[in-house]
Amino acid sequence: MNSHDLTVFGYLLFLLAGVVLELLARRTRLRIPSLAAVLARAMRTRTGRVGVLVAWAWLGLHFFAG
Amino acid sequence: MDGSSPPRWIVALGSTATAGVREPIVVILLLIAVFTAISGRPVNGLLLAAVAVCLAWDNARSRRRVVIPAPDAAAGLTTAQPREPLIAARRRRPATAAVAAAGLVFAAVVGSFARYSWPATVSVIGLAAVVVAIGWRGPPRSRRDPGELRRRGTSLWAGLLVAAGLWELSALILQPGLDTTSSAHPTISALTDPLLTSHAGRSVALAVWIAAGWFLMRR
Repeated sequence: MNSHDLTVFGYLLFLLAGVVLELLARRTRLRIPSLAAVLARAMRTRTGRVGVLVAWAWLGLHFFAG
Repeated sequence: MDGSSPPRWIVALGSTATAGVREPIVVILLLIAVFTAISGRPVNGLLLAAVAVCLAWDNARSRRRVVIPAPDAAAGLTTAQPREPLIAARRRRPATAAVAAAGLVFAAVVGSFARYSWPATVSVIGLAAVVVAIGWRGPPRSRRDPGELRRRGTSLWAGLLVAAGLWELSALILQPGLDTTSSAHPTISALTDPLLTSHAGRSVALAVWIAAGWFLMRR
């Protein structure tokens, strides 16, 4: 496994971990909040709300806006 | 006028800086703005910095305005209140369909522009500014408060986000330069570049981005 494959494997691992956490939150009785609940909690305040929305905006700017 | 007291604008500047330093999100936004600017996107960095300064100013203003500190205000937070009462689901459905249709048209049209061209830049910055401005005013409708979440469960999500961010950052640092991609240590941007070369790829990516923005705006 070269460094390219290792890097990509890392990204896939984090993606898989996110999917597993979401499934554990929604399908089991474990006390893990869903991603939507975490976001809703973070967005209860104006600072949190704007911060999350700016993170979303940054993604669009990063990939499309020069 | 008291000659010994500093001018109002200096007081406002000082309180804005203090409120900004106390607010982690403002500090994080400023750091992202700096890294965005030095990696060759000065306009994007400037926009992020402007939002960070506005948030710091808003926090400072809220602190000055509060007479009897509410629990959130005491913690340095400004509670976002819903602007409107719950809208009937029957009225929301056509609005949701209209937003979805507009989003698809936007994705199809803007996806036809080359990445980083001025039409794509203006369109994406315009939409992002509108969404952030709407979000600034608060949630568009009443929604269920999730209440306090279990710290251990929340820390799992936070840990995953931080670890993924550090993984991406390590790939970025291991590149030959901040704006020079590396095949050996690809960032997510480098991996997605081939997908965004076609009109269809850009439109799908834009549609996903818009859908995520719509989802977040309704939180």
